Amino acid sequence: MHERQNSGYVDLRDEYPLLPSYGAQRPPGLERMMGGCGIAGTIDVTGAKMSGEAIGRMLTTMSERENGLGAGYSAYGLFDNELKDAYCMQFFFDDEKAMSTAEEFLKNRGDIIKDERVFTQKVSTMKPPYPIVWRYFFNPNPHSEKFRIRDQHPDECIVDMVIGINGTIPGAICISSGKNMAVFKGNGFSYEIAEHYDLGRYSAPMWLSHSRFPTNTPGWWAGAHPISLLDWSVCHNGEITSYGVNRKFVEMNGYKCSLLTDTEVVTYLWDLLVRRHHLPMQVAGFALAPWYHKDIQRLDPRSRALAEQLRITYKEAFLNGPFSILVGRSRPDITMIAMADRKKLRPLLFGRSGDGRRLYAASEECAVRVVEKDTAETWVGNPGSPMIATVGKGIVRRGTEEPFQGVFC
Amino acid sequence: MSTAPKPSESEKKSDRIILDKFQPVFNRDACQMCKRCIKECSYGALESKGNRIWYKGGCVACQRCAAMCPTRSIEIRQVPSQMAPHATYDDRVRQAITSQASTGGVLLSSCGNDGPYDHIFDDIVLDAAQVTNPSIDPLREEVETRTYLGRRSGKVTLSGDGCVAESDGSGPIVAMDMPFMLGHISLGAVSYNTQKSLFMAARNLNIIAGSGEGGLHADFFQYADHINSEVASGRFGVTPEYLKRTAAVEIKIGQGAKPGHGGHLPGEKVTDLISSTRMIPLGTDALSPYPHHDIYSIEDLQQLISVLKESTEYRVPVGVKIAAVHNVGAIASGIVRAGADFITIDGFRGGTGSTPRVIRDHAGLPIEVAIATVDRRLTAEGLRNRVTVCAGGSIRNSADMIKVIALGADVAMVCTSALVALGCRVCQSCHRGLCAWGIATQRPELVSRLDPEVGAKRVTNLYNAWNEELKEIMGAMGIDSVESLVGNRDRLRYLGPNPKIAEAMGLKHAGEGWG
Repeated sequence: MHERQNSGYVDLRDEYPLLPSYGAQRPPGLERMMGGCGIAGTIDVTGAKMSGEAIGRMLTTMSERENGLGAGYSAYGLFDNELKDAYCMQFFFDDEKAMSTAEEFLKNRGDIIKDERVFTQKVSTMKPPYPIVWRYFFNPNPHSEKFRIRDQHPDECIVDMVIGINGTIPGAICISSGKNMAVFKGNGFSYEIAEHYDLGRYSAPMWLSHSRFPTNTPGWWAGAHPISLLDWSVCHNGEITSYGVNRKFVEMNGYKCSLLTDTEVVTYLWDLLVRRHHLPMQVAGFALAPWYHKDIQRLDPRSRALAEQLRITYKEAFLNGPFSILVGRSRPDITMIAMADRKKLRPLLFGRSGDGRRLYAASEECAVRVVEKDTAETWVGNPGSPMIATVGKGIVRRGTEEPFQGVFC
Repeated sequence: MSTAPKPSESEKKSDRIILDKFQPVFNRDACQMCKRCIKECSYGALESKGNRIWYKGGCVACQRCAAMCPTRSIEIRQVPSQMAPHATYDDRVRQAITSQASTGGVLLSSCGNDGPYDHIFDDIVLDAAQVTNPSIDPLREEVETRTYLGRRSGKVTLSGDGCVAESDGSGPIVAMDMPFMLGHISLGAVSYNTQKSLFMAARNLNIIAGSGEGGLHADFFQYADHINSEVASGRFGVTPEYLKRTAAVEIKIGQGAKPGHGGHLPGEKVTDLISSTRMIPLGTDALSPYPHHDIYSIEDLQQLISVLKESTEYRVPVGVKIAAVHNVGAIASGIVRAGADFITIDGFRGGTGSTPRVIRDHAGLPIEVAIATVDRRLTAEGLRNRVTVCAGGSIRNSADMIKVIALGADVAMVCTSALVALGCRVCQSCHRGLCAWGIATQRPELVSRLDPEVGAKRVTNLYNAWNEELKEIMGAMGIDSVESLVGNRDRLRYLGPNPKIAEAMGLKHAGEGWG
């Protein structure tokens, strides 16, 4: 995990004054975070588990893409038995008080099946503070009188709770809340975060990761990627120029933005379009990065009707500006979605191992080659076209197909 | 007027302090005495005497004589103030008082509010992309400006076969190539040739143009696909054919230039043409009521919207236009809930062919504040993505248009700029019906001065240019489609004297970044 230091890499922090670091609490004055980044993800479509060590190497090798102000990983298919069916709610707490308040909040709204400290270890190069990282396996009780709307689907209860905690309990941030998945992230270089959580101790069939090169914003543990809600987690390299519009759209649909990254909005959009509006993933992808009107005219009549309706109805969901994103979900099946904006202004490359079991998506090819030297096939997708791979199904889309392939029957 | 007693000699004297504000100055050496200026001046301000052109009085600075003089020997000058300076009782105040003392009437005026209020548009600066996101060159890459007008469901549902479910598409939608529309300028307020120019331009540009409240002349049915037909309180010319043919229908509750007032077309302008289109007697004043007499509250509006949707067989979007007033946010919310497919907000600098000056100059809200308020209110209530919001009232150039979109409008409504493209010099004398440019007049000899072909070309040129500038600005902001600019207040900063205004609009102050 220390390849960069061994290879003579100069830690920028030796040359520039240190920016302050924040845990769960939002840095004062911060209203929106932006910057460039590196992303890498891998999925084994047979469901076989991979060690967290490999994803660490994939991310860390793209050393030009980070400056030590945030990195993170998400792992899917992490738990077994009864734990995999409970919501795994992971938190950053700045102090014990925030923790007990959040615990009280949880207990009033359901059952904590199990809770545990998430393993972390001191890394000598990382600057404090380190937030407390705690994990609760939780089942909400939709009848609880604490819910503003009672007897909702448990997913909605979790959404309400995450939004409630992140907005109201100082020093507490829920960083992931999905089933059978967990997020490991913080303020540091990618290799520091991997060591901090000792990722080698985990193995999972899908990993997503992100390293951050923010522009002039302080390091903030909670603001690092992946940003997660329910079982969605999103790693994002880019800057959404339509943020103000997208934010309004998710807020109109009941989400509340508390992390102030454009990635948070991207996460909520996937949740809204796929989970709540039941759109197929490639249709949601089109809504986020639609074709040009003149190109839509080339489509067959059914596709054209759908494309035009998506552009009209979801015009506020359209993510403008440069981005490439990795999106993960665990239900119904563990799935990785990887796509770039419609002009492809940020890099994204796909790869597949020689035996076809493992799929990769990353900012740079070196991230694939570092774990899969010569055997992997690599390709690039079309602008705005998602690559989708699912455990049990294999590769659903290569990212080079017509936009609605597989939607009509 | 013939029965009115003639003013006595002393009354005439007290009237005399109303001074002409402008006067033509002649270059006698260059003048060829062709007398064209006398013919061109529809206000009868010039005469020839003793082989010279003389100014009689009554110049409105419409510039017609100067523009038409073959030797360019006429220049219009503002007459230096002859009154003793007084900051409170300035010339404008004194002239208004004198004028009212003479006539005892309500002072009429036209065009928009000309008062010295701050232009908030000029206090707003735009963002651009640097380093962290790339700017886009619209000459090399696609930057889209297509805009839809109509109601949206907020959600797309796919049926079993993957197609869009019937029930969950949108209402009737009008697609336009540019995010603006021509506002309502009625036949009556303006001439046949003016309206023809505007409709032709709307068709060229693939946008829509308002019919105004005067109905639609049969000759213009050919442009119906690009016409937004207005249903105002007078219901002039509103027939099933009128409603069914056009692209959209708009109920006019109010107008920015005269909030709370109805239309006012002086009888002199009600010629044969107007009388047949509006279906009113020749030569009568066409005074539309202040409120719609079937709309005394919001539920009545809901009924009228339903009636219009029924009578157009749900084929076209039905909108509501209101003047920007203090409670505009809540009113807009009510209108959306009443079923309007689009809302138009008209700011207090909006133009008009005739209005009481006191209303024009003192009532309403600037569009910048009003549109931001409406956008925020509808967003807070989860309604903003169901409805199209249009905003107008002094959109002077493409910068204003871009800012009004970023403040929250889907569509910018433009009017005065189109008339200026046709020749209007904003002399603010529309209400007199003597427009020397053939625009705000019904006199055949004046109307014929405007060639609709030329007019349409000029208006088309103007808005094509604005749309290009819009693309340039969006490209610089790293935005490649106009919907991503709508209500994107993050990309604006306020650089004016009053931070409270910025707060009301939901804008950050210049110098405030994101963190």
